[in-house]
Amino acid sequence: MALKKIAVCDGVVLNIIEKDKFKTNYISVNFITPLSSESAALNALLPRVLKRGTVAHPDMASLNRAYETLYSTTIYSRNYKRGEVQIVGFCASPLANDYIPDGTDVLDGTLKLMDEIIFSPLLEDGCFKAEYVESEKRMLIDDVKAQINNKNRYALRRCEEEMCRGEVYGVSETGTAAEIEAITPASLYACYKALLSGAKIEIFFVGKTDEEALIKSIKDVFVKCAHTVTAPLTTEVIRKAGEAREVVEDQPVAQGKLSLGFRTNCVLSDGNYHEFALMRELYGGSTVSKLFMNVREKLSLCYYCSAIPEAHKGIMVVASGIEVANKQKAQDEILAQLEAVKVGDFTEDDLAKAKRSIVNSYTELSDSPMSLESWYLGRALAGLSTSPEDAIELVMNTGREAVMAAAQGVTLDTVYFMRGTLNAGGAENE
Amino acid sequence: MNNMIIKENKQIGEKYYKINHKSGLEIYVIPKELTTGYALFGTRYGSADNCFRVNGEAEYTHVPDGIAHFLEHKMFENEDGVDTFVRYAQTGASANAYTSFTKTAYLFSCTDNFTESLEILLDHVTHPYFTPETVSKEQGIIGQEIRMYDDNPGWVLMMGLLQSLYKNNTVRVDIAGTVESISEITADLLYKCYNTFYNLHNMSLCVCGSITPEEVIEVADRMLTEAPAIEIDSISGEEEPQVYRSRFSAKMQVSKPQFAIGVKDTAISPDGNERMKKSAALSIICEMLFSRSGALFNELYSKQLIGSGLGYEADHNKRFSFIMLSGDSNDPEAVFARFVDYMNEVKAKGVEDEAFERAKRVVYAQLVKSFDSTEEIANNFLNYIFDDSDMLDYSDAISSVTKDDVSKLIADIFREDRYTLATVLPLDE
Repeated sequence: MALKKIAVCDGVVLNIIEKDKFKTNYISVNFITPLSSESAALNALLPRVLKRGTVAHPDMASLNRAYETLYSTTIYSRNYKRGEVQIVGFCASPLANDYIPDGTDVLDGTLKLMDEIIFSPLLEDGCFKAEYVESEKRMLIDDVKAQINNKNRYALRRCEEEMCRGEVYGVSETGTAAEIEAITPASLYACYKALLSGAKIEIFFVGKTDEEALIKSIKDVFVKCAHTVTAPLTTEVIRKAGEAREVVEDQPVAQGKLSLGFRTNCVLSDGNYHEFALMRELYGGSTVSKLFMNVREKLSLCYYCSAIPEAHKGIMVVASGIEVANKQKAQDEILAQLEAVKVGDFTEDDLAKAKRSIVNSYTELSDSPMSLESWYLGRALAGLSTSPEDAIELVMNTGREAVMAAAQGVTLDTVYFMRGTLNAGGAENE
Repeated sequence: MNNMIIKENKQIGEKYYKINHKSGLEIYVIPKELTTGYALFGTRYGSADNCFRVNGEAEYTHVPDGIAHFLEHKMFENEDGVDTFVRYAQTGASANAYTSFTKTAYLFSCTDNFTESLEILLDHVTHPYFTPETVSKEQGIIGQEIRMYDDNPGWVLMMGLLQSLYKNNTVRVDIAGTVESISEITADLLYKCYNTFYNLHNMSLCVCGSITPEEVIEVADRMLTEAPAIEIDSISGEEEPQVYRSRFSAKMQVSKPQFAIGVKDTAISPDGNERMKKSAALSIICEMLFSRSGALFNELYSKQLIGSGLGYEADHNKRFSFIMLSGDSNDPEAVFARFVDYMNEVKAKGVEDEAFERAKRVVYAQLVKSFDSTEEIANNFLNYIFDDSDMLDYSDAISSVTKDDVSKLIADIFREDRYTLATVLPLDE
């Protein structure tokens, strides 16, 4: 599965992964910039406003009619962070032309719509339409506030936020409600211009098409924004935690959420990330991991307990949902299992299982265009071009000492506990 | 004897082999040139089957709420003491299981050692093993699963909606039960449910990936023994066409009110193909009336009556049928009132040709797109099989829906006494 990188123009790269096994093609356009509290909210809002209307399709109803006419090819906007880098942009999965009964060229139609959305937004007085900006600000603020609705994700986010307070990574990829509130059509338009003239632009295509024609279409669209990438995309890595800190938050919920945040002393660009990845699989990455087998199966303390890594920042959160009274017991067990990996308390068979599990998940990537994109984009940010196959080889050649060493580099930084104050009937706990 | 047929849908470029295995099990093999192989072994048994009798028994057996889901968890334990996940760890497969209102399914995905994993799947699902100790151990784990759902506003909203739509239909019972109901579960009750519903005649196996029917049959021949014929009578509860109650509301820690509007439909055909066609028509109706190109969404959005999305889905199967719209809003009652008026306007104005054709395209495209993942294919197949229809007929079902069909359905289904509104509101400050 070779990835082809084509320089479209200065600042814009097209990544092509050719696959002829899908009924859909996948296309995405990603604007990559340093994460910062000055621009996070603006960057987050921008794709939402662009998606509200273009010169040719001035409102959502007409844009969505166009998507539907292209056999349900919705263009989605997105916004996320990888390490201390923010990625915003658009993606779509048009049906392959072979499956279009009436012969419509949906791939071409999708590219044209992306072109419109990115380069021909609806403007008023040389700026974005104020009504759209205001309405999308409200929606984005609502989304920020709605983070509390999903307790599992909220507890994970809060742990990372507390752990990386004062670091760039602590900046939310949506910005804060106040930062969103302060945005004006003019400031957003300036952000748009800055992204087009400074961001690293990575385009992905996964699927099957006439490659020459695709490259030409993409060049035709993006040549108008040839630019020099201005800011370096780097992430500050703290290798070792200081003294562990504990944050307890009372919330009116039934279940306690325990998140333990660690510094891993390993990031993707280190070159030996596969050792950490294998260690993580063994410790908390599968249904036969140390955490699942002990915290859940042996002690019956929880329904879920797993270790979630961030490969660019070098952190990892162990997340679990537990009875409030069992907090210390769960925490002790989670840390004891990490100690066990550090001192080599695992069999060759345990290691082989972890390897098979990781090999299986890396191999499965080739069936998912989005996972492939995520893999290669992540590698590109770390200055690598490792394929999943390369990574499998590295994992297979990793021995127990390397796994123990990877675990020994992991240090506890922050304990976040959402203490549920309701009992099962919805009444307050004593 | 194993009896095999092949069926193909040329338009979407897919086919399957169906094997009536001599054990009584129906096996579907869907060949697919993807890297990931996927197998799904399911029984027509879900949380809604809480009162049943077998082979004309005089008495019905009532079982505690949540037992089907509890049983699903317990099927991962084996008499030799080796957890099923540990067995799979030898092949590298990634395994899981789930319980819905109407089915329980066990699955794995893998990129190597497919037949070895299939062997594990067929073995663990056909060999129950429970003891009082292992049952009580599971109560702690499932108790935490229930607690997690107690804190999930989307789930509370969904269950509240179902309990408003239905008075007697057992789909109103929460899939996992409650901490109290699962405390009544015993090893004996689990065996009773197992022996009733995990009869191979009541189950199906769907396999999707680069695998031949012969390979699957070889494993099935080795692992499965013939099951006795069985007749299961599971009560789902009689329903009036009207909703049971018009409002449900709960308070939870949410940032903003969450709402779900339910539309109850009790006109369910006993014929699987009829249901498939109606299901296609309902999906087209939902796309046509509630999508982001439609008037309702755009009006609610521009008036800021809803947040960034308006979810919609039609669920039509032999056991229940309803349409649900959901989202968040500072004024759910206003959204509901606008929905009622909008449907009256649609009924008065009739269906637009262009919107109808666009909606058909969307539903067709969604079907074709669903054939890009072995996981999605196997799961969709099983849903159709358990509803007595065939996924490879679905593209024809979509094409067969006429504008007249949808106009009639709209007139039949959208009536005010069939509507209900469920909300989850923020806690008082």
